[in-house]
Formats: sequence, structure tokens, C-alpha cells
Amino acid sequence: MPARRLILLVAAGVAAFGQAASRLDLDSFEKVWTTVRDKHWQSKPGGLDWQAIHDEYRPRVEKAASHDEARAVMQEMLGRLHQSHFAIIPAPVYSVLDDEEGGPGVTGIDARVLDGQAVVTSVDPGSPAEKQGVRPGWQIQRAGGKELKPIIDQALSNPAVHELQLTRAVLARLSGAIGGTLDAAFLDGSGKTIDLSLNLTPPRGAISAFGNLPAQHVWFESKRIESTAYVRFNLFLDLPRVMAGFQQTVDNCKPCDGLIIDLRGNPGGIGGMAMGMAGFLVDKPNQRLGTMYLRDSTLNFVVNPRADVLSAPVAVLVDGCSASTSEIFAGGLKDLGRARIFGTRTAAAALPSAFERLPNGDGFQYAVANYISQGGQPLEGLGVTPDATVELTRGALLAGHDPVVDAAIDWIKTDSISIRRQKQP
Amino acid sequence: MNRRMLLLVLAGAAAVFAADPLPSAESVLDRYVQVTGGKQAYEKRKTEIAHGTLEYASIGIKGSITRYAAEPDKYYAALDIEGLGKVEMGINGQVAWENSALLGPRVKTGLERAGAIREGSMNSTLNWRKLYPKVENAGIETIDGEECYKVVMTPGEGQPLIGYYQKKSGLQVKVTTVSSTQMGDIPVELIASDYKDFGGILEPAKVIQKAGPQEFTMTLESVEVNPVIPPERFALPADVRKLVDKAEAK
Repeated sequence: MPARRLILLVAAGVAAFGQAASRLDLDSFEKVWTTVRDKHWQSKPGGLDWQAIHDEYRPRVEKAASHDEARAVMQEMLGRLHQSHFAIIPAPVYSVLDDEEGGPGVTGIDARVLDGQAVVTSVDPGSPAEKQGVRPGWQIQRAGGKELKPIIDQALSNPAVHELQLTRAVLARLSGAIGGTLDAAFLDGSGKTIDLSLNLTPPRGAISAFGNLPAQHVWFESKRIESTAYVRFNLFLDLPRVMAGFQQTVDNCKPCDGLIIDLRGNPGGIGGMAMGMAGFLVDKPNQRLGTMYLRDSTLNFVVNPRADVLSAPVAVLVDGCSASTSEIFAGGLKDLGRARIFGTRTAAAALPSAFERLPNGDGFQYAVANYISQGGQPLEGLGVTPDATVELTRGALLAGHDPVVDAAIDWIKTDSISIRRQKQP
Repeated sequence: MNRRMLLLVLAGAAAVFAADPLPSAESVLDRYVQVTGGKQAYEKRKTEIAHGTLEYASIGIKGSITRYAAEPDKYYAALDIEGLGKVEMGINGQVAWENSALLGPRVKTGLERAGAIREGSMNSTLNWRKLYPKVENAGIETIDGEECYKVVMTPGEGQPLIGYYQKKSGLQVKVTTVSSTQMGDIPVELIASDYKDFGGILEPAKVIQKAGPQEFTMTLESVEVNPVIPPERFALPADVRKLVDKAEAK
């Protein structure tokens, strides 16, 4: 009798679990459907009768026998939009990307995934990593006691995961509480494993607050590489300082062979700054970087030429972590024929697309606007394709080279000579 | 008898409707001038300096605004917005311009210029006849439980502006229009409330503006009436002057 009772209890528990899972999937379906209904830039999303879509797909989620089947139905529903950046990301993959173990403290390492491995691409001057001898090109094997390779492999197994998300997931594992330490294992250029305990310090740059956004550390650097001006900043934020620094760089570039604007790793920020900066570079009036389509309005990203515009060649450097405002800026200048783009394809995340966790634990990505660059191509989902694709390699980094910068300088030298020859009588 | 009765009823109904005809747009707009201070109060005002605040509540950004105006068509406003820096805009009688830390200096042209001149015009409430050659009372709509006259005002250049004036108080409580901006035509809605006496003229101390995806609240705190404003206040800033000179040189 007690055994039978136990079986009944277990059976009831299993049934309850089954019901709960199904309800969570239905709640997730409703969240996905209503989010698209309320936030999509078209009042009729994708030109579809969205209510009819609901009525078609909800019964299929109700009948789904598993989370995987329910997710596939939701993914199929989003596929009917035929638009990028609408995706369901399975809970295990989303958990890898949504790591909450990191913190504000950093080691000064910037990294990218090259050939499936996390590789140091730069080390902030004066940072704990630099002080302990970490060099660009070193492979990061382990951080905080976790092997990075399995995490990278799991993320790369899902085609919805982009370089930007993957890089953020890697960098999150290189962070922690300020004042703490991070144990990390590297493979140096000679193949030797180096174990280090790195101090975690505040990120590089000055803290900048903008409305409800969390305060961010913003840095800006400007230098000369021979006769070429070079500017790099990590975010389109801290507007007064970054815009003033950009203007100063442009002013100092008169004369110069050319200007390199390095937007690699720059995830964007205040969209208007792209228009403001382009005004220093584009002389022709009534030009646009592109157009953003929202549900109730259309916004032209117009360039206001300054009174004194730079005429020297401009190279913009991008990678898969250049997103949003960086893409609007790079794509617009490319389409206007004002800049040559070097590096690798951008994040294809020009829009304010958001990620949210669904009730069933999966991640949900959706876009709330559409942006068409001046050349007529949407940036969302396609990104900016460089004029010259130049990839970082571990070998070049270990040799102390940045092949993307090198390619831009070579082009500027050639272009400047050509311009000077044309100007000669 | 029954037929006579019916005619009487119909006549009575007609009399009831005829007793409350829709007032002309002109009378609604003139009444607004009257209830906010009257023609004389407006005519006495030659210059003003207004101070207020701005708040983009949804994104947590605040700012301040100071606005200078002088008859008939001089205007200068400076906004200081957290995280975005300073935005200046003005009209010197001819040139409508804007200069911001974000976008740099620019000269407004076309419909945007025409709209800026209308909006920046001193005593635009009083001078609606000059600014809007065609006005029409399009009916009654209820806003927040109050019946309002819906007056469509069409300028010489640009999109019509629709003002909603409370039937009971005569005050303007809402405005909708499509604003021609450099970034495109943007639907705009203004909700005016909290009318207060600022130097003899009632003005809404609170205006909520919805412009495309943005919504912000402007709060008018004080108005200096007829202060001396040096002419330089309305002069073109050097960066704008350079653009004007550059355009003229072409």
C-alpha cells in the first residue's frame, strides 16, 4: 500500500512537472508573439496578419511534446517574418552568453575568438595584465577556473550566436569584482602555458553616465602613425569629451596623409554622434548615412557638413564587435564613398535589438526598428562588409603587428600620393 | 393634427441644434487670446526671457532651457541636456539655425525654416492670423472628459497644426502636427496643462511633448517680461556665421 501510494505521488509529480513545462512554453509563446505585435517597427509585422499567425501557431505549441518542439514552433513563427534578429536561443546556449559571474573589475585584456580559440588582441597600458607580461597573441585557455574552449564551442554550435555575443561572453569570464583576482592560464607564442593571478581593477577610461543606462567607462585615444592620424574610442558616449577629442584629431589632421578611425570592438552608443562626426568628414550638403524606420516615424540620419571639412582619405576599421552606431557610421561613410572600410564584417546589429529571457528559460532576440544604409542595404542582419577584408591572426599579433591598421596605412599612403599627384599642375 | 405635431417636434429639435452651433475657428482662437490675458496683455509684451526644465523620463535624462524672444521675430534658446551637452537654436529675423554638441552647427532651410520662424515668433498666440492664413473648426472631441473644439490651422508653408481648445475654459489643451525636421517629418503631440499667470499672460506651466519615439516634459518656471536683451543675444554664433558665409560664397 505505501509503495502504491509512493508511485502515485511520483506519477502526480511527473504530471505536474509536465504541465508546468507546457505552461512555461505557452507563456513563452505569448511573450514572443505579443512582443512582436507591440514592438515591431511595422504595425503589420512582416506584412502578416499577426493575429492569424497567433491562431495558427498557438495550438501547435499547446500540442508540443517537449521544450525543443515548442521552441521549433516559435522559431518557425518568427521565420515567417523573413527578417533577421528575431530568434529563440536555447536555454543552455543563452546561459553561456548571459553569464552573470563577471563583474566590473577587469584585467586590461581585450580578446577575440580566432579560429575557435580565445586570443588576447590588446592589453591596456598600465593594466594588471600588462604589468604581468600578458602579450597580444597569447591564447587564453582558462579563466576563473573554467576552460574557455567548451564554452566557445557550445556558443559557436548555434548559428544565431554572433561574434559580438561570443566575445562578450569570453570577456565576462575575464572580469570580476574590483579588488579581487582572476586566475587565468595562457598559451604564449612559444607554446608554453603560463598561469597568472591577475588583479581586477576598474576598466580603462572615465565614468560616463547617460540617463538610465548604467554608468560606463569611456576612453578615447588619438595618436599619429607617421603622417596618418589615428583615433579610437570604445563607445559613442561621453559626448562632450569624445566629440571634442574627435574634432581635435580632425583639426590636427590638416594637413596629414589620412585619418584612421578604429571602431573595432565599439558596440555603439548615441546614434546621433555618427551624424555629428560625419559632419567633419563629408563636405557635400544634404547627405545621409541612412534611414531608420520605426513604427510611427522615419528618421533620416543626415550629415551636417562643418564649415571646415577634412579632405584627406579616411579609413574606418571594423570587426564583428563593431555594432549599432559604429555600423551606421562605417556603413554610411562607405556608401557615400567617403571612407574605405578595413577589417571583418560588422556585428549586423545596427538596431536597438534586445535580448530577453523567456519564462521557459530560452533567450529571445527581437528588433524594434529597421535601418537602411544610404546604399540601400539593411545593416541589421547583414552588417557592413569591408572594402578590404583583413583578419586578425594569432601569428600577426604575436609578431607585434596589427594587419588591419597596416592595411589601412598602406592604402592611405597610396591614396594620398595619388591625390597629391592629381593636385599637381 | 398628428402631422402638425410632427412638424412642431421637428422644428423644436432644429431649434435645439441651432441654439448651439459650432463656433467659428476665428472665435475659438480669439477666445484663447482673451482667456489667456487679452490682446492688450500680449501687445504690452515686447521681449521676454523664460526659464524652464526638460525631462525625458523614460530614459532618465534631464535638462534646462532658457529662451529669449523679442518682437517681432527674434528668438534664441539654449538647452543644456545631461549627457548630450548644449543645444542652441535661434532666429535672427532671416536665418533659422541650430548648433549642438551632438550635430554641430547648421542652418535650417525649407519647411523646417518656415516652421521654426512660426514657432519662434513673439506673441504667436496673438498673431495667429498672420501665421495661419486658413483656419477651420473641425468639430468637437473629448479630451480627458472635457469637450474641446478641434481647430485646424493651416500655415502658408508646411503641415497644418490642430489645436484642441476646451469648450468650457477656452484654453488650448492639446496640439498635434507633423513637424518638418532635418531627420524627416515627425508626428508631434503636445499636451498642455497647469496654466499659470506669467506676467499677465496665462501659459501652460507643463507641456508633454511626444515626437516620434521620444517623449519629454517641459516645465515653465519663470518668465521675465520686457527685460532688456542686448542685440548680440540674437546674433549668429561664429560657427553658424561661417556656414552662412560658405553657402553665400558658393
